[in-house]
Amino acid sequence: MNEKIQRKVFQYFYKNKIENFVGVPDSTIKYFIDEGLRYKKILIATREEEAIGIATGMSLAKSPSLVFMQNAGFGNSISTITSLVQLYKIPLIFLIGWRGYLPDDAPEHIKFGKIQPELIKSLGLKSKVMSDSDWQKSCKWALTQLNAVKPCLLIIKREFHD
Amino acid sequence: MIRREAIGILAKMLKNYPIVSADGYTSRDLFETCDKPSNFYMIGSMGLASSIALGVAVKKTKKKVFVFDGDGNILMNLGSLTTIGRVSPKNLVHVVFDNSIHESTGGQPTHSSVIKIEKIAQLCGYTVYKTNSKVKLKDIFKKIIKIRAPIMILIKVEASKIISSRVIYSPTKIKNRFMRSIK
Repeated sequence: MNEKIQRKVFQYFYKNKIENFVGVPDSTIKYFIDEGLRYKKILIATREEEAIGIATGMSLAKSPSLVFMQNAGFGNSISTITSLVQLYKIPLIFLIGWRGYLPDDAPEHIKFGKIQPELIKSLGLKSKVMSDSDWQKSCKWALTQLNAVKPCLLIIKREFHD
Repeated sequence: MIRREAIGILAKMLKNYPIVSADGYTSRDLFETCDKPSNFYMIGSMGLASSIALGVAVKKTKKKVFVFDGDGNILMNLGSLTTIGRVSPKNLVHVVFDNSIHESTGGQPTHSSVIKIEKIAQLCGYTVYKTNSKVKLKDIFKKIIKIRAPIMILIKVEASKIISSRVIYSPTKIKNRFMRSIK
């Protein structure tokens, strides 16, 4: 997803009453995070489960939240997702960078990138893979999920090398 | 003093202040000694009590928000102490019931008999109190309620064979009544 759209994604959620953006940085979504930093709306946690915990607390205080992370960190958070987010029905939007989407991404990302779609399916989480053309539709869908008190995933593909 | 006693004393003093309590025996003791809608009992996701409480505290700045944590629990999420220090909420009170063991899983040792959790918290910007006495616990409570800074109260407790019953409410019920109580 290009820089311009990533900044627009942040703007979209910010204008649509998402009050908190908590997460761990990922280069795939760095422009989204940068836009949030400009508005002083980003809280960086030390790891992804911590971010989910903080966002859960905000959600309990009725303040809508988005958590952002790389898919590796999503993998770290599975137990927190099943035993906190899903168990207590906490409405959160997850924004996840999909490393290992390209088959020649860095070696540490290949396996997880490959199993990610099946994993999300087994967890019973609803997700949308965003694109530059239909991002707005995906974001709108995520807000609908949030209003229905359901967690959901928005995924951004890593389509470049560095 | 055992954890269950310390939890009972504190929770009764706290009246309707929100408490986020860690999974395992901590939540079970709180449930049995002083059940209230303002208690958020965690069932799973070990380590995250202080993170959840931080999220509540930054959004409900007019209320003191309490965490009932264990030594094993906070050692699983030590990064949380740095985040709390960095955000520096004026209304977060982090109570750690420290028995230096993982009591819920059979009494295996944690590092806290050697590594002092309260010292790490102090470096992270917490105002720290430590005690193992019931009388002092009451005095500390009177003091901290007026302090505007992240606070840690580390309570050294003894291991115990008394096991409190499980929380009987469904997780969504725990959530809903907690949310109503902090309105």
